[in-house]
Amino acid sequence: MTYSLHRRGFLKGALAAGALIPLAACAGGGDDPKATPAGSEPAGGETTTQADPNNPFGLKVPSDVDAAIFNGGYGIAYAEFAGAMVEKQHDGVKVKVSKIQDATTELQPRFAGGDPPDVIDNAGKGKIGLAAILDQLEDLNDVIDSNNYEGDPIRDTLYAGVLEPGTIDDKLAVINYVLTVFGLWYSASLFEENGWEPPKTWDDAIALGAKAKEKGKYLFLWGNEASDYYMELAITSAIKEGGDEVRLALDNLEEGCWSKPALQAVFGKMEEIVKAGYVKPGGGGTQFTAAQAAWSQAQEALLYPSGAWIENEMKSQTKEDFKMTGTPVPTVTASPSKPFEAIHSAADEPYIVPSQGKNVAGGKEFMRAMLSKEAATNFAKEILSPTIVKDTVPEDGFGSTALVSQIGMLGAAGDNVFTWKFNAFYGMGNDTVVLWNSFLDGKLSTAELTSKLQEVTDAIRNDDAIEKFKAS
Amino acid sequence: MQRRKRHLSFDKISFMVVFLGLPLLIYLVLVIYPFLQAVHLSLTNWRGFGPISEADYVWLDNYVYLFTSSKFMLALGHNAMLAVFLPLITIILALTLAIVITVGGHSHGTIRGIRGASFYRIVSFFPYVIPGIIIGLMWRLLLDPGMGLVNGLLTTIGLDQFKDFAWLGKEETAMPVSMLVIVWGFVGFYMLLFIAAIKSIPSEIYEAVRIDGAGRWTTAVRVTIPLIRDNIQTAYIYMGIIALDAFIYMVALNPTGGPNYSTLVMSQELFNTAFGGQNMWGRGSAMGVVLALVTLAFSGLVFLVNRLTGGKDAVSY
Repeated sequence: MTYSLHRRGFLKGALAAGALIPLAACAGGGDDPKATPAGSEPAGGETTTQADPNNPFGLKVPSDVDAAIFNGGYGIAYAEFAGAMVEKQHDGVKVKVSKIQDATTELQPRFAGGDPPDVIDNAGKGKIGLAAILDQLEDLNDVIDSNNYEGDPIRDTLYAGVLEPGTIDDKLAVINYVLTVFGLWYSASLFEENGWEPPKTWDDAIALGAKAKEKGKYLFLWGNEASDYYMELAITSAIKEGGDEVRLALDNLEEGCWSKPALQAVFGKMEEIVKAGYVKPGGGGTQFTAAQAAWSQAQEALLYPSGAWIENEMKSQTKEDFKMTGTPVPTVTASPSKPFEAIHSAADEPYIVPSQGKNVAGGKEFMRAMLSKEAATNFAKEILSPTIVKDTVPEDGFGSTALVSQIGMLGAAGDNVFTWKFNAFYGMGNDTVVLWNSFLDGKLSTAELTSKLQEVTDAIRNDDAIEKFKAS
Repeated sequence: MQRRKRHLSFDKISFMVVFLGLPLLIYLVLVIYPFLQAVHLSLTNWRGFGPISEADYVWLDNYVYLFTSSKFMLALGHNAMLAVFLPLITIILALTLAIVITVGGHSHGTIRGIRGASFYRIVSFFPYVIPGIIIGLMWRLLLDPGMGLVNGLLTTIGLDQFKDFAWLGKEETAMPVSMLVIVWGFVGFYMLLFIAAIKSIPSEIYEAVRIDGAGRWTTAVRVTIPLIRDNIQTAYIYMGIIALDAFIYMVALNPTGGPNYSTLVMSQELFNTAFGGQNMWGRGSAMGVVLALVTLAFSGLVFLVNRLTGGKDAVSY
């Protein structure tokens, strides 16, 4: 299977190259035959040799690069910045950066028609399921093995483990650009005012819930579409308690994986919190950003489990002097397998380069620019979020408490950083959201939640139409 | 032979090409071909992104999957429920309003509607002007447990049990509330349809009925409704088709399919299967085919019921 795909990809590449060389020559000739691209490239749109460190992928000059970027919380300005870098590096190359909102519906016709963009930021709710396009994506290991625009090997500039989520069977199908730190988020000013401490164990959390109730507040709240943030919280806490065994059981869709003692203990504690009335009711009927505003603006609840994007997402709806701060999620016992400081952190914002694209080298060159220090620093500064490129955030976090706490959490965690991908890879989002809405509403007990999550997992494991990945 | 030849003049041929051939071509390319393609895709395991030619035929596997998938069967059940209740509620309400507005007025003098009829007509038509997606999003906010207008009003008049009540987040209320929203959106349109139909009934009939001593109820049930029976049938089929789709409303009100999937409908499951999660376009196409067949069966059923209950005996004036 894999072999034949590689062969097919190779043939396609050869065909595309054959078609492109005369085409590129035509384009150059039609435009202005006298103008040769700047730099060392010979005239006439000839490719430079493979070894050229300034053009490692043999990008044709001149040529067009078509980049489709998800226009979500991060906007597309940062990608336009990288596009401009490519244009500056290779005079004559034009990078067209266009917005997409829903990758699947907008790009499916282009994929089906054999004309996908050269590089795609496949993020957001409408992202294309990786399993569906895996065999049509370029292996991006050569991007990582190339040098960035500053001349350093890209592989040496990245945080550890950030390529893992995008690696499927040794193929780097996806470069996840943004480093997301997950945790519990709270208002440092509110906690200070009341003398509260962020909880270290679930028992601390329950005690904090009682204190919150005295003040007429809730411990947690949730919104309909984002109920599975609590699944993220539960899984993180369980992996900290039970170790990598829990993570592997889930990622490999093992039989009875949801019945692991660590997961059961966490579910039990969460059920206790729901039963005690420490969770704001009605979340199942609340749009999720409205719910999040009840936390960040009205401060009806103390804690919210989320990724670090929460600061940017709620920027316009956060109380002044909120001092949004992240903390690692609580553990079940005081002596878990992984320390309290261990965190779930994953590279996200998945960039892909389709093999069918007209300018595959252009797509890769765009990624090389994105992974250069200049572009990564620009991203961190504008978006207040770290990328997978190290050392781009100064001490003061550009003035953001959340960014400072992210870097702090990453530093404290050291090697104790983990992630998983089964739910995203198999597109289980919708099913789990429905279950967690019921659980947080008190409609499902721990036992019922466990068996229903297991049903969803088993259905995927037993569906022969779905290819599986193996986690280790 | 010769006569036929003379008949096919240039005028006639060009007329046929432009007014018959062209529409037929457009219909074939834009309606029939995609439909056949959907049937074709439903027999494959195509994932939506690669070349279709590389997908494998799985023949009826997708259909077997559908009818063993508890989620799809649940969605099918919800659509069936909507197809029963939505037309019924909408049409009864619309018909009542239409009768009141056109012939429900004072029983002396000319036949007319109640006072302020045009005001009610405009008010009840208003929701139909708003696109479905806006209706859904708007009602989602109105029904928000904490800051929604609905709970705000209910708690203001002293019904404190509705504080933070999640209308769309409770299994018991999510579906009925969603139905009400759809009815709210359509009742005005069907009212207008019925008003037009009732207005075409000659007023002499009503005058005669009145002289014979019939009250408002008898007039409505024994004169008005039989005379606009065809319109009601049409309305029933249209509303039924809307109920079998219901996509926009359900997605806007409850994007994930409702608490415990209590508002999941087929079109939504189709969308999730093809565009979300696993991108199973083959399965999605199979769902589309089933949905189309169910819709056809529904129209057939409505025609049949109308026929069996005496609809074929033409009532005219």
